[in-house]
Amino acid sequence: MPSVLLTSIVVLFAITSCFKKDADFQGKELNIAVKAQVKGMDPIYSDDRYSSTEVARVYEGLLEYHYLKRPYQLQPNLAEAMPEVTDNGLTYTFKIRKGVLFHDDAAFPGGKGRELVAEDFVFSLKRLSDPKLLGNGWWTIDGKIKGLNEWREKYNKLPQTDYTEEIEGLRALDKYTLQFKLTKPFPQFLNVLAMPFASAVAKEVADKYGKELLNHPIGTGPFKIKNGVFRQSNRIEYLKNENYRKKTYPCEASEEFSKEYLKDCGKQLPLVDRLTSHIIEETQPRWLNFLKGKVDFVEPDKDNFEGALPTGNELSPDLKAKGIQLMISPYLDITYTALNMELDLFKNNKKLRQAMLLAYNVNESNKLFYNNTGIPAQSVIPPGLKGYSKDFQNEYRGAGKAEQIAKAKELLKEAGYPDGKGLPVITYNCTSTTDAKQIGEFFQKQMAQIGINISVIQNPWPRLQEKIKNRQVMTHGIAWGADYPDAENFLQLLYGPNRAPGANGSGYDNPVYNKMFEQVAVMQDSPERTALYEKMNKMIAEEIPWIFGVHRQNTGVVHGWVTNFVQTDFEPGRSAYLSIDVEKKKALLKGL
Amino acid sequence: MNIYTYILRRLLYIFPVIIGVSFLIFILFNVVCPDPTLIMLGKHATPEQMAMLRTELGLDRPLWVQYFDILKSAFTFDFGRSWNTKQEIFQMIKNGAIPSLTFTVPGFIFSTITSLSIAVVVAFYRGKFLDKFFVVICVSMMSISSLAYILFFQWFFAYKLGMFEISGYEDGFPYFIPYVILPIIIWIILSLGYDLRFYRTVMLDEIYQDYVRTARAKGLSERVILFKHVLKNAMIPVITYVVIQIPYLILGALLIENFFGIPGLGSLVVDAINSNDFGVLKAMSILTSLAFIFFNLLSDVLYTMVDPRVRLK
Amino acid sequence: MKSTAVEASNYSDTKGKKAQKPKSLWGHAWTQLSRDKVAMLSLTIFALYTLVAFLSVTGLIASDWKNEVGLSYGVPSRDHWFGLDIFGRSVFAKTIKGTEVAMSVGFVVATISACIGIIFGSFAGFYGGKIDELIVWFYTVVSSVPNIMLVMAIALISGKGIHSVYLALGLTTWVNLCRLIRAEVIRHKDREYVQAAAAIGGGDFRKLFKHVLPNVFHIVIINFTLTFQIAIKSEVILSYLGLGVQGRPSWGVMINDAKLELARGYWWQLAAATFAMFFVLLALNILGDALRDSLDPKLKGK
Repeated sequence: MPSVLLTSIVVLFAITSCFKKDADFQGKELNIAVKAQVKGMDPIYSDDRYSSTEVARVYEGLLEYHYLKRPYQLQPNLAEAMPEVTDNGLTYTFKIRKGVLFHDDAAFPGGKGRELVAEDFVFSLKRLSDPKLLGNGWWTIDGKIKGLNEWREKYNKLPQTDYTEEIEGLRALDKYTLQFKLTKPFPQFLNVLAMPFASAVAKEVADKYGKELLNHPIGTGPFKIKNGVFRQSNRIEYLKNENYRKKTYPCEASEEFSKEYLKDCGKQLPLVDRLTSHIIEETQPRWLNFLKGKVDFVEPDKDNFEGALPTGNELSPDLKAKGIQLMISPYLDITYTALNMELDLFKNNKKLRQAMLLAYNVNESNKLFYNNTGIPAQSVIPPGLKGYSKDFQNEYRGAGKAEQIAKAKELLKEAGYPDGKGLPVITYNCTSTTDAKQIGEFFQKQMAQIGINISVIQNPWPRLQEKIKNRQVMTHGIAWGADYPDAENFLQLLYGPNRAPGANGSGYDNPVYNKMFEQVAVMQDSPERTALYEKMNKMIAEEIPWIFGVHRQNTGVVHGWVTNFVQTDFEPGRSAYLSIDVEKKKALLKGL
Repeated sequence: MNIYTYILRRLLYIFPVIIGVSFLIFILFNVVCPDPTLIMLGKHATPEQMAMLRTELGLDRPLWVQYFDILKSAFTFDFGRSWNTKQEIFQMIKNGAIPSLTFTVPGFIFSTITSLSIAVVVAFYRGKFLDKFFVVICVSMMSISSLAYILFFQWFFAYKLGMFEISGYEDGFPYFIPYVILPIIIWIILSLGYDLRFYRTVMLDEIYQDYVRTARAKGLSERVILFKHVLKNAMIPVITYVVIQIPYLILGALLIENFFGIPGLGSLVVDAINSNDFGVLKAMSILTSLAFIFFNLLSDVLYTMVDPRVRLK
Repeated sequence: MKSTAVEASNYSDTKGKKAQKPKSLWGHAWTQLSRDKVAMLSLTIFALYTLVAFLSVTGLIASDWKNEVGLSYGVPSRDHWFGLDIFGRSVFAKTIKGTEVAMSVGFVVATISACIGIIFGSFAGFYGGKIDELIVWFYTVVSSVPNIMLVMAIALISGKGIHSVYLALGLTTWVNLCRLIRAEVIRHKDREYVQAAAAIGGGDFRKLFKHVLPNVFHIVIINFTLTFQIAIKSEVILSYLGLGVQGRPSWGVMINDAKLELARGYWWQLAAATFAMFFVLLALNILGDALRDSLDPKLKGK
């Protein structure tokens, strides 16, 4: 039997080499590994990172982030220029770029993609708000645009949504002019328009395919999907959009990017001819495929760090020898343990909170769970955003020092709980993953040092959410990733009126803070606003409604043949700027 | 009882079973499971949106209406759209069925043929060294976790030796072949032990039957007895065994598919489990139960046709 | 994944053969078993695993598995036989601790499954009629729904962890035993000795427990070894799906962790768990075979 098996293996092996589809492709091709299934390609449902990245290869919005500028800076994409903001920040008027064509599709007359007009955005945003479609991105414009909520309310009860009904705050003034009227000043509105949710969808396409638009991505973007149809599978193939408007690679960059990044300055985008997204959910095949050069870059998982990055921020020598590079950039996020500030135990007891933060050794948790790549959080705002002060040190930030433990014990005593006596067992709720459990046990260990008893409770994710919303938790471990690069997105997590079931899971409600937030939330970007952000950040650092964790970092390993690669929090749109050095790839592949 | 009445009775029995299956699924996923709208809306859930979504999913209707929906879907195959991907569930399942079959069917055929031939040889040499040797081999193969096979084979054969594709899939014959060979091999290894053991028992059972003794007394050679009589009679349990396994082929293999990136029904189920996609899980439960019921029925009917004694019991 | 269900049905049991007196059956079986050296070796191995699991439960060994004893991913050496894991913990200690999980999963699941199987199977077979129809209908329904869905639903409802694993696997593996017991009880209940007992005047339960069950108990034993293995193997799949044991090492968790390690050449965790599992499963398989050979009346005296 073994010999039969062996012979058949050999025979099959011989046959297989003849069955490779177009193995002799010579152009530039990007191969991207995607970690999770891609649900579909309808912009209004693209709420997870992987689907929205795929959506943004095909669709575009009014604005985007500059590829090579940090902190992130908005620039016009389908808009001709940044909008004119009048009326105390309530009216935004955009000029739409002329001559932009949709991809060819049978939905258009004659099968040729037509020109993009302002009305397309009116339609797309109405589609995002359509109560019959329940787009996942509705929260981005909920209550922000004049008349839109009323429109949604009205058609929620009626059987059919009427898109022709005019909405006061969302109008096309002429073919190329688009005007938004907001209900209240909301400076982050521009960030919202840069999200894939607000991409331009053509009415003809939506009419023809209905809910199946999910599988017929027809946008204006740099790539078009092969054969015009998306099928949920393990790969998505894209071709360069030959009719793409004139859009070129940037010629300026922030100083952290080397000269290498400007080599393609002025070149027409996209820079590659083909792009394939390989959906590889399992870590082993993803990593092996990367090592074989089948995919161009991957983000190693937490546990894969060890092998690739023995010291935490440098590649292992054998990978370096293969021409592989390492890219690290901070994520705009924060991990934290929220304390339930509605409980008297925490609410009236700042010293207890301070003691807890002091006892929590953030460096150790960084080492254990983030391979030392995270940045210990001093307060809520992560680095990379205005409002973060690099040199600010929270005096209660625990780092495992003996005097900190002593001080924590002292504070605990002052709070009325000498050595934890008199304190109830504090429950810590987290999700049911192994990581979450380990983090919970670490928290337990840290608190035990000063005599606080923690019991870790694991919940399935929906149950945890339910508990948080119903205020049935004492403390819970969670993280927040930025929706858009503005400190407001983090500060709102502690704004009183946002209490659960809103995003403020700790239920922190401080009139002084609330007032400051209301003031800052309507300010346009300015030095005054940044100063106020910093002030609020420091206030929270002292108030400690959370046991702050770390700001995580994004780590990518990239093959030497990929050029212009940057790590970004706003990955959608990146693929147009990436390129492949075909000669170098040939040479490097031999060494793999 | 005549055979047609028997078949008719078995056919009618499908209905209570389907009612039971849909009820079980209903209890598990509609009654006792946590609120799915929270999972779907994620961090931006508002009570207003959750209410709208509940309406959209039909979760605000009376429970008995929800139950009848599930029951109905067993006949209409209209499972609606996935809660997670918003795709049509029936379409998702249709897309996944072929990739699963491309490796399970060859694996199954190969494993059945190999194990059956070995079983004949082993039955011939029963109790001797060769018998013991094969029994130990197959028992050993069964004693290793499937995940260990997958991890090791993928790393060793596909990566270290570079003999196969590490993962991936290509639609259409013959392009899928390079991607499914390693999955097929693993499938064979995983099932060979069970198959061989079962077929060996079947063959030995036949060998100890009275008619074999008679044949032997008549002076027929062992070889003739084995191939002419034993094998022929053993075909009955073999065929029913084969038929009963068909639903498993359609269901695919959870781990193999996920590791080798085959977009089949197995990985569909894993994704649905990971994203709490109850719609897909319900649909898959109903469809696989239907397949189980159907093929069980088929195997019973086949059995009755060739062995009328069964009916009389 | 392919189920072992079909194989378990061991259809030879369902065909009628002469009944044996209980005592001679077990006595004979033991004599035959003790003569089989391989089977005795398997029994010893199984006993050893049980002992290890027991010692680990009581904390006598491997209670320090959480401690860092060296560098991350230390290679196997004289100090650390099976090497170290990512946090520098001893893989050997983890394997021992995993034995505890595996054996407890095996025992509890097989026990739950045996209880449900015996109760349902014997009631269905003994009372017949409506009760029988109801129970047959019930197990047809349960066996029609893919196990993995039931397991998933149970884990969602009862939370994750070892108790869910017990419950989920226990509640899904009883069908085969139930089917076999039912068939055997039907065969036995009309036998002379049972009839005789009834004539003397024994209640239904007395009849069932005293005369019928002992005669079908060999099926339970054989099935127990089988369910034991299925449970141990399923634990790996559950761990992979994130529905398994939480916060303590199990073989499933170790093999699952290896998916991140093998590509980097750290093979020892995978090897340790796989071999630990291999020997106990092999022992159980051989033991199961030997038990069947010695307990199955039909194969006896061949």
